Amino acid sequence: MKKLVMRWEVLLLALLVIELIVFGMINPRFLRTSSLLYGTSDFVQVGIVAVPLTLVIIAGGIDVSFASTVGLCAITFGIANFFGLPLAASLAVGFGTGALAGVLNATIIRLTRLQPLVVTLGSLYLFSGAATVLSGVVGANGYEGIGGFPTAFTNLGYAQVFGVPMPLFVFLCFSAVLLVLLHMTRFGRLVFQVGQNEEAARHSGMPVARIQMWTYVLTGLAAALAGLLLSAYFGSARVDLGGATLLPAITAAVLGGASIYGGKGSVLGTIIATFVIGYLQQGLQMSGVPSQISSALSGALLVIVVAFRHGLALLSAFVPARSSQTN
Amino acid sequence: MLNWIARDRVATLLLVTIAVLLAVGVAAPGFLAPSTASMIWSNGLVLMLIALGVFPVILTRNIDVSGGSVLGLSAVTLGLSLNAGIAMPIAIAMTLGAGLAAGAVNGVLVAVLGVPSIVATLGTLGLFRGVMLIATGGEWIEELPETLKALGAKSLGGLSVMGICTGLVIIAVWAFLRSRRGRWVMVVGDNRAAARHLGLPVKRIEFLAFVWGGGMAALAGVTFAAQIGFVPNQAGTGIELRAIAALVLGGISLLGGVGSVAGVVIGVIFFTSIDTALVFLKIPAYWNDLIGGAMLLTVLLIDGRLRIALEARDRAARYHRGDAQAPQPKKLEDAA
Repeated sequence: MKKLVMRWEVLLLALLVIELIVFGMINPRFLRTSSLLYGTSDFVQVGIVAVPLTLVIIAGGIDVSFASTVGLCAITFGIANFFGLPLAASLAVGFGTGALAGVLNATIIRLTRLQPLVVTLGSLYLFSGAATVLSGVVGANGYEGIGGFPTAFTNLGYAQVFGVPMPLFVFLCFSAVLLVLLHMTRFGRLVFQVGQNEEAARHSGMPVARIQMWTYVLTGLAAALAGLLLSAYFGSARVDLGGATLLPAITAAVLGGASIYGGKGSVLGTIIATFVIGYLQQGLQMSGVPSQISSALSGALLVIVVAFRHGLALLSAFVPARSSQTN
Repeated sequence: MLNWIARDRVATLLLVTIAVLLAVGVAAPGFLAPSTASMIWSNGLVLMLIALGVFPVILTRNIDVSGGSVLGLSAVTLGLSLNAGIAMPIAIAMTLGAGLAAGAVNGVLVAVLGVPSIVATLGTLGLFRGVMLIATGGEWIEELPETLKALGAKSLGGLSVMGICTGLVIIAVWAFLRSRRGRWVMVVGDNRAAARHLGLPVKRIEFLAFVWGGGMAALAGVTFAAQIGFVPNQAGTGIELRAIAALVLGGISLLGGVGSVAGVVIGVIFFTSIDTALVFLKIPAYWNDLIGGAMLLTVLLIDGRLRIALEARDRAARYHRGDAQAPQPKKLEDAA
């Protein structure tokens, strides 16, 4: 019982509930089902990239390039659509771009054995630059969007599945798949093992390079998914679609319990953390707090929660030692 | 040749920079002039100061990504206090104070509370930006006094006051890192456990590195305000990543303990020269990120492969000699 209560995900869930209650008391409209449900469309893209990012972090890596990949995939999709490819083919182009971006990241990290932060920092620039230049190809200079999507596509952004808005539905399905993948399959165990001790994993014959490659490819694919959803939602593909997901997504992964040193983390935690962060922003806005203050508060939240968790870890390391002495 | 390229990153990068500049000079006559040099220097000042601030932090094997927001926060402190009629020296002192305080927050989080530095500074990146926006109410600060703008204007031999200050900072950092206490910074990053056993005040060194980073970001904020003449909301966004990229290019290892001031300077100048050269070649500004990113990745790729090749050759040579009596000391990666 104590184990269940002290689990990080449970604490996060409690935080989420407290948050909802507090905002509900400030502004009762916040707790309406419709605003809770449709409000998610503004932040689920953060979760969509944060969940596979959790896998990358668990496997001992980090990826910051996804923020540009989101825009890049949206742009390649827009260009394919612009040149008259059928919708399915255009979507394939978008996802293909995302997968390629992941392969590129993983390959360079593998080849150079450099820290993933450095490499993906380079590709963060490369991808956003490529997206900007590509959007110029079809005459949409600079930061203008590429529009003119078929209505079948733009309707997706507002469609409902079982009464749940499409973006939220996609996010829940996608993270359910990754939840199973990470916590219930052999691949998932390998991800943890690689992150715990890469050398040991290599010496015991595990396909370290391939595992890491897959985590980056999944992040690329997720970035494509987020880019396409946002394009459908806004009705146009822009270069800077993903720029605002960079910090919140890393925050969600870390808040969700992923250790930046690898080997620790959970998909469920990241999912809950996404809602904690997303509803924090929304709740603050609905309580009449200017958006600049809400960004400060979410930064503060990350720092406080992580500091608290480290404090907790220090404490739990301290308490057993003392009790064993008295016994 | 291979040896030399791989071992001396700074010299290689210097050669590459010179080659790039010469190539641009051939393509665009009039580029190779003293005025270009002074332009590159002044264009790179803000990036240089941020990079010099992050440098000791990275040497101690931490990272600071909050630089851009500290820059914004301190530029706003400067702008608000100047526009409130506070005298310039006091306003600048307050600005530096704000930066040092912001750095101290990072330092406490990392050195005292033990939060991983990337997480802590990501959090404060949002936090400081928010504090800055609260202070301005989301509005830009304009109409800064001419006395401030004069600090960023070129005067002595094409150098501005801030340009000279930055030069002095570079010399100071160089001298400090050569001193006895300066080596401590490297020691902490190279092997934290060993540094502790040697009796070095590891936590204090880490803390002070972050405080220094905050102070430099504040100086960058002063430079920014002086050069631009106003303070937009997004002042400094993204510059922390550029600074880290420039440092990596200059051969500073994110694993701590390795790097030189010359590397910092040449890394920043390389990045700035490319931006400046693109302007001269009349390439639209939206190519900047693509070219910068491609260059960074190419340099990393070549450098990484060379280093691996060199290590393999060293090892082969060792085995060839049958040199078994001296096992190579293995770096303690997990000790920190």
